[in-house]
Amino acid sequence: MTTGAGGNTPVPVSRRPETAAAEPVGAAQGKRSTAGDAVAGGLTTPAAVPEAQPARKSKRGRGVTRRQRPLWMLAPGGTLMTIVIVVPLAVALYISLLDLDQYTFREWTSAPFKGFANYLEAVRSADLVHSIVISVSYALLVTVITLPIGVAAALATQNAFAGRGLVRSVFLVPYVLPAFVTGTVWHIILQPGGVGNLLLGHLGVPNGLWLNGPRSFWALVIVQTWASWPLIYLLTLAGLQSIDVTMHEAAALDGAGWWAKLRYVILPHLGGPISLGLLISFLHNVNNFTLPYVLFGVPSPHDVEVLPVLTYVESFQNFRFGLAAAMAVWSLALIAIPLAVYLRVVRLDVGSDESQRRARR
Amino acid sequence: MDAKRRLMCMAGTILLAASLAACHSGSGTPSAGASTKLDGTGKTLDVFMGANTIYPTQQKQWFNDVAAKFKAETGANVTFETFASANDELTKIQTSVLSGQGPDIYLLGTTFTPTAYATGAFLQLSADDWKKVGGRDRFLPATLGISGPDNDHQVGIPFASRPFVMAYNKDLLAAAGIDKPATTWDGLRDQAKKLTANGVYGLAIGYADGFDPWKFVWAMDVQAGNPVVDGKKARIDDPTSLTAYKTYLGWLANDKVVDPAAVGWKNAQAIAAFGAGKAAFLPMVSGSSKVTLDKSAVAGKYAYALMPTIPPGATSLPKGGVAAASILSGDNIVVAKYSKNKDLALALINMVTTADSQDAYYKTFGDLPTNADEAKKLQSDPALAAIVDSAGKSKGTPFNGAWSQVQLALLNVVVQSIPDLSAGKVDEGKLKNLLSQAQSTAQSALDKTQ
Repeated sequence: MTTGAGGNTPVPVSRRPETAAAEPVGAAQGKRSTAGDAVAGGLTTPAAVPEAQPARKSKRGRGVTRRQRPLWMLAPGGTLMTIVIVVPLAVALYISLLDLDQYTFREWTSAPFKGFANYLEAVRSADLVHSIVISVSYALLVTVITLPIGVAAALATQNAFAGRGLVRSVFLVPYVLPAFVTGTVWHIILQPGGVGNLLLGHLGVPNGLWLNGPRSFWALVIVQTWASWPLIYLLTLAGLQSIDVTMHEAAALDGAGWWAKLRYVILPHLGGPISLGLLISFLHNVNNFTLPYVLFGVPSPHDVEVLPVLTYVESFQNFRFGLAAAMAVWSLALIAIPLAVYLRVVRLDVGSDESQRRARR
Repeated sequence: MDAKRRLMCMAGTILLAASLAACHSGSGTPSAGASTKLDGTGKTLDVFMGANTIYPTQQKQWFNDVAAKFKAETGANVTFETFASANDELTKIQTSVLSGQGPDIYLLGTTFTPTAYATGAFLQLSADDWKKVGGRDRFLPATLGISGPDNDHQVGIPFASRPFVMAYNKDLLAAAGIDKPATTWDGLRDQAKKLTANGVYGLAIGYADGFDPWKFVWAMDVQAGNPVVDGKKARIDDPTSLTAYKTYLGWLANDKVVDPAAVGWKNAQAIAAFGAGKAAFLPMVSGSSKVTLDKSAVAGKYAYALMPTIPPGATSLPKGGVAAASILSGDNIVVAKYSKNKDLALALINMVTTADSQDAYYKTFGDLPTNADEAKKLQSDPALAAIVDSAGKSKGTPFNGAWSQVQLALLNVVVQSIPDLSAGKVDEGKLKNLLSQAQSTAQSALDKTQ
């Protein structure tokens, strides 16, 4: 099955946790075929990941046994995955071990090997810790704020009314605008003496600096909230569509009011889509580069020095490619945490023993 | 997942690039032709330069003209690629250098030349190479100041010069009884104070610009005798730097001669404020501001002058000080080492740096020529006198592969001081702290230089 794929690259052991954690969400997020998971998993971590497949199989409960699965059919996808994901990741990991900079990058393979010095330097520098704190706290805040907005918007446009199509399209505008445009427009709004300060002045908020200093953090939260709530809205709307009409009718027959309907009929069904939405939203926020870059420029003001911008500055302004790669790996590890939590919760990765237990029952 | 993807893209590019580079190193460059007459029939030169946003159609025309002329001379085709920002340029250089293929010729900003030199990816011009581009003597000596660390190791061929000067509003100065702009920074501050009244400010400064702030600080430092980078040692925590930052930030915070909104301004907004007649002086602009200003409310009412060359707190140039009127600014042409058309590339550079070509380029785009004969001709034009004068008095920033990092560290001090500045103060303790941070950042970058 994995001939072409596995042979190409020596796979460092340290890569395993990342791949194992990252792959299934790739599938969940991008609706990539589950074949990808199985292959990548089969390639690297024979024990942990591929159980998703058997779980499904055993539910179907007949036919092909695990041994007989025609896994070779996954070879084309597997090869592609290897080229697109595994090889570059391995190269990035290798770079993170090198002292790669403007003096060595012309012949990068002969750049001095530094071992884990880059990782240590990244952790020791106050910048990385600071920017992780900034990134995570802002991402969490935005995720929490967008949740009620997105759900409310979805509920409001659930029932048909005149002009619903238009409202739904308008709701998507912030989401479909390129981040570059969003950033530029908000930069103009928020600059000193700009429209933002003018309006706030009318509301009694004292004028101030939004694109630097302590308020810049809130500027980032506000703009990112504005740009990203439609994601929750979309996923919630999709979840709402999947609730059978008869459920609503039954609830209505039972005399449930709107609150009871919402609390006991609708929300329980939305758990899946909403938690997926929260996860994607969080990851998206943590990794957002364009918006802070366009809003605040580089070097970034201290209060909004988010992780992707820091990595960018290290590699493309300071030319410390090795150090930046190490930072990127750290951020990958950071992202793996919510992923792992999510996978636990939705049980995409239920171990084979559990599914077997279930099957036995 | 974006970071991961980005990382992968980067890594992927690098990997692909590396394998391509490996292929290339084997093939080697064709030996330089023995014949003097170059025959480029069937060959194509690729030139990579910045998109001219002020004159996009003229630039396209210039591309066509150059290509046609070069085709007639050598039979070779020339294609032009443009980049929109310095980041695009850098990315292109990185991928091309790694892959060993890409544009034959790059136009680089002067301050980026040291970094480009440090990569070792560009052709070091031998005496013979210089001959092929028309000889070193063809160029204004000052413009060669940032072509390489010394005369024997030059990579950059000066193509255009954009020295920085100061625009001033003649009417406002006359009304305040000031006959000419000051030549010391202290004098400029005093004039600015006099001129600040009735909604008009003395100075228009782009504090949030990505480049301007470090140019001010560098100039004041150099004038005070601190080269910022002294050999392999950074000197950002020097008292002269503190004075420079205090002066620069103090214009808004203490002297109140700058519009408070300027904490969010980039260079273009400073130009706009001056153009609207809301500021008397506009320091740190190049001749290209002329296009904007000639269409503004101050058209015909402004002139250019040299920026002060006497450092803050002094009335004459101190010992060791250098009267730098501007950083050495403009474009250098470099030839990629991997280029298989080296001689053709040099022939093209020869063609675009002749007096005639430079004359045409200047007339179309307003960038000053680097060709010595052509520059001499322009000196007689009074409107340009200050700019040409500044070109001769420009000093190159330190030729060090770590300069980009030093520059960023200098800039970062201003970025992190903006919140205080917005509150109308300059906190000396914080400033010192920022300077020592910048010092250690710059020093560790310099320690890595090879």
